[in-house]
Amino acid sequence: MKKYVQTTAAVSNFSSLPLYQRFSIPDLLYVGYGLLIVGLVLVSYVLGAFNLLPHDPQQINMELLMAPPGTAGHLLGTDFMGRDIQSRLILGIQAYFLPGLLAIFIALSGGIVLGVLAGYRRGYTETVITYFTNLVDSFPRLVLILLVIAAFKPDIYYIMMVMGVTGIPAVANAIAGKIRVLAQKNFIEAAIALGLRTRVIILKHILWYNCRALLIIQATLGMGEAILLETSLSYLGFGVQEPTPSWGNMVQSGANYFMQGNFWPSTAPALAILFTILGFNLLGDGLNNILEGKRSR
Amino acid sequence: MTAPLLKIDNLRTYFYARRKQAFVRSVDGVSLEVGRRETVGVVGESGSGKSITAMSVMGLISSGPGVIGGSIHYASDKVQRNLLDGLENFVQLEQSDGRVMAVSKDERGWQKASEKLMAGMRGREIAMIFQNPRASLNPYLSVGEQITEAVRLHGGITAAKEARERALHWLERVKIDTPHLRYNTYPSGMSGGMCQRAMIAMALSSEPSLLIADEPTTGLDATIQSKIVDLLQELKSETGISTLLISHDISVITRLSDRVAVLYGGAVVEYGPARQLLDAHAELKHSYTAALLASVPNEQKIRARANLQAIEGEVLDTINVPPGCRFYARCNRITPEIRDKCATLHPELKEVAPGHQVRCWRFVN
Amino acid sequence: MKFMPLRALARTLLKELGLALLLLLGVSFVVFIILYAAPGDPFSVLLEGQMPSEQALAGIRVALGAQQSWYGQYLSWLHNVLGGNFGTSVRTGMPVAGELIHVSLNTLYLTLGSMLVTLFIAVPIALYSSMRGHSVAISWPLTMLGYVFSALPVFWLAYIVIYVSVHGFGFFPLSSGMGDGWLYTLVPVLVLGLGSGTISEVIRYLREEMSRVMAEDYIRTARAKGASVWRHAFKEGLLLPVSEIFAAKIPFILGGAVIVEQIFNWPGMGRMAWQAAQDRDFPVIMGIALIAAIFVRLGSMIQRMVFTAVNPHGARD
Repeated sequence: MKKYVQTTAAVSNFSSLPLYQRFSIPDLLYVGYGLLIVGLVLVSYVLGAFNLLPHDPQQINMELLMAPPGTAGHLLGTDFMGRDIQSRLILGIQAYFLPGLLAIFIALSGGIVLGVLAGYRRGYTETVITYFTNLVDSFPRLVLILLVIAAFKPDIYYIMMVMGVTGIPAVANAIAGKIRVLAQKNFIEAAIALGLRTRVIILKHILWYNCRALLIIQATLGMGEAILLETSLSYLGFGVQEPTPSWGNMVQSGANYFMQGNFWPSTAPALAILFTILGFNLLGDGLNNILEGKRSR
Repeated sequence: MTAPLLKIDNLRTYFYARRKQAFVRSVDGVSLEVGRRETVGVVGESGSGKSITAMSVMGLISSGPGVIGGSIHYASDKVQRNLLDGLENFVQLEQSDGRVMAVSKDERGWQKASEKLMAGMRGREIAMIFQNPRASLNPYLSVGEQITEAVRLHGGITAAKEARERALHWLERVKIDTPHLRYNTYPSGMSGGMCQRAMIAMALSSEPSLLIADEPTTGLDATIQSKIVDLLQELKSETGISTLLISHDISVITRLSDRVAVLYGGAVVEYGPARQLLDAHAELKHSYTAALLASVPNEQKIRARANLQAIEGEVLDTINVPPGCRFYARCNRITPEIRDKCATLHPELKEVAPGHQVRCWRFVN
Repeated sequence: MKFMPLRALARTLLKELGLALLLLLGVSFVVFIILYAAPGDPFSVLLEGQMPSEQALAGIRVALGAQQSWYGQYLSWLHNVLGGNFGTSVRTGMPVAGELIHVSLNTLYLTLGSMLVTLFIAVPIALYSSMRGHSVAISWPLTMLGYVFSALPVFWLAYIVIYVSVHGFGFFPLSSGMGDGWLYTLVPVLVLGLGSGTISEVIRYLREEMSRVMAEDYIRTARAKGASVWRHAFKEGLLLPVSEIFAAKIPFILGGAVIVEQIFNWPGMGRMAWQAAQDRDFPVIMGIALIAAIFVRLGSMIQRMVFTAVNPHGARD
């Protein structure tokens, strides 16, 4: 049974409705959860940067090995060397936070430039850019990163630069697509006819008015990907090295204990990865539905 | 007198405007009859509920709440049934001041029940053609394949070769040149008019009893429009098929219809024999029909250099339907004696001549 | 009537082959440039902590065409690669080419298998939730599950699966060779299919495409003539999106394969790339990058061919 009710007072203004009536409830839950995670990550990053941790993350405590979560003094328990998992999780954010932002910055700025060029200037320019995006897309990201690691050194900033460059095509295609849609509606011709300067059209009318939602979404999804990549690489042993914690190497170093039935030292960072990436993905998709007007009826 | 082929009674199809938290009363009490071998024209402005009426008959409404009341009795030689049988078991209405203010509908349940009622109807008993024929044909299948599919589904022919022959025969009957070549053409390779001919071939190939033509000429070039109307006229006299013809184009309605229903704001405001109803000089007429006729150019008016009259005012807001006559705000024939009634009470259809009904307070004594 | 598509297919194939060759040339150039720009002389890099054999040194010389100008080195390397000579592995001293064919087939099996797993899970969910009148109570948890699997770190998922199969079913799903029986190989395929991080995106894309097609006029026509809606929606609503997903997700799955192969000791390209990155084994990793790019281009060629076959007259693009 689905119930439809006509409100007696005629509703004239959509934006005067409460949020839950304007947008679908799952989308709002997605965004709410995502914002919660973003807030947690931000706070934890600052705590880690100023070393405001409940325990010294390197402090080995042989008296208290693999304490379960909820142990007095150790909210999330301790690992196989008696180190406080909560502190190590918080510090682990340092491993991906700034590099991830760098990757997003590269992907967005490169994507904006190429996307605007491809969408605005057709012909030869577009062909060259299409070739470039196809070329970048031909490399599996992780293989390209292993190549760079072999050639240079396993530095997270190199890795994130590669991540940024490989993120350019997605952003560029999205922006070029958007501009094509605008051009079909004669939006750009109208702007030119109004005598606006190209710079104003591109910066204000195309990027600011029409692409900002798209860019926020791309940035959010990009952060999720950056976390996935950083944890994968530090899991493979190419990122941050023990004893400095990162979520990936925490999972990896707990592997042997996991197989013996001591799940927690591996599972805690794995859940941190799961909930964080889930948060960024849901935030991105929820924002996409709300800001780009999909699914909201 | 035998039962009419199609008898729509007090059909109501609503949609829900989520943004305005209100119902769009697209079809709000339409009653119509289509007799055997008869063509009934349904005319009205866009938004008057013509197409939604047709889609409701076919059970093709997919947005909620959709069809919420009424009956659609269908009675051909082979099938007699109410296409909305049992609808009331799935729908609960809450009314205040005679208006539906809340609808609870078990949409999945009704969808299942409706699919059961429509089994053997769509394509076989009732066929439908649409406006924008190019988009209405599957772009990934050749035109011939699509007609053959209809033949094999409903024409009682399952052998591939025979079905193909049948499809070719119908391509010929709708006057598509070189049918053997066109058989393998994809819709993207044909003109709009050609596509509509193919649609008509597809619809008639299963020899249905009723054809619903939903704006069959809209969006086509004027000369093509006229040819499609010619074709429909010819096929009608050849096959004797009953037709529910929906159009906003009075000239198309004039050329094809035996009876005409004028829709305004989701309800029939005038219903009667085509000749009587479309006669611009007849007095017994709803003011909307009169206005509609006055807005159409014809030879006489052009010779007289008369101005074409536009209908003043705006199309009825089907969300905030006024309580009185729905044409009240635009009517130019209101007399002081009936003004109060026009503003507050919705008139019933009233027979003004045999078989001719008008929904207007002027004809109610 | 079947001749027209054949001609269109041949034309597409030629066009895509040309494009693929151009792109692979670019790929090889990028690979070369990265290694050329690598700090230090390749030989000193090779000597770090290892005692290379004369054979290996010769292999590197052949692979990189040392002692020439940079473009000379590129051209001679390219010449060798085209002749099937990818050089000699620094670590094993064996020619790379033979090994590459072997491991790339293993990876192909893993990649295609896990792609199938992903689609087997994603397609029903997407179709169900794109149907009108579906039950939100069922489709929403399914969609949520897709999100969770996409965010799940694949290595941890692998741990759980290994733990469960060892303690629950008493078998150890680590394969050192492919001869251990197909059941063993199924476990990594499942893990990668579930955990490659693409499921929620695949569900989302397929659902959006199917819903869009379901709203098309020609689907209404199909319903009005009493034909099967699925038959009419199949090409545009399912076949084309699936082939697009197939082509677009190959790079991601190949990336995931690096981790899964590592955990399950799968003798494929991913594990070899991991090993090579640790050893700075240039000839191997260059070869792997090229093979991986060939896989990606093949996927996109298949997608274009499907598109042409479905849509031989370019009715839609």
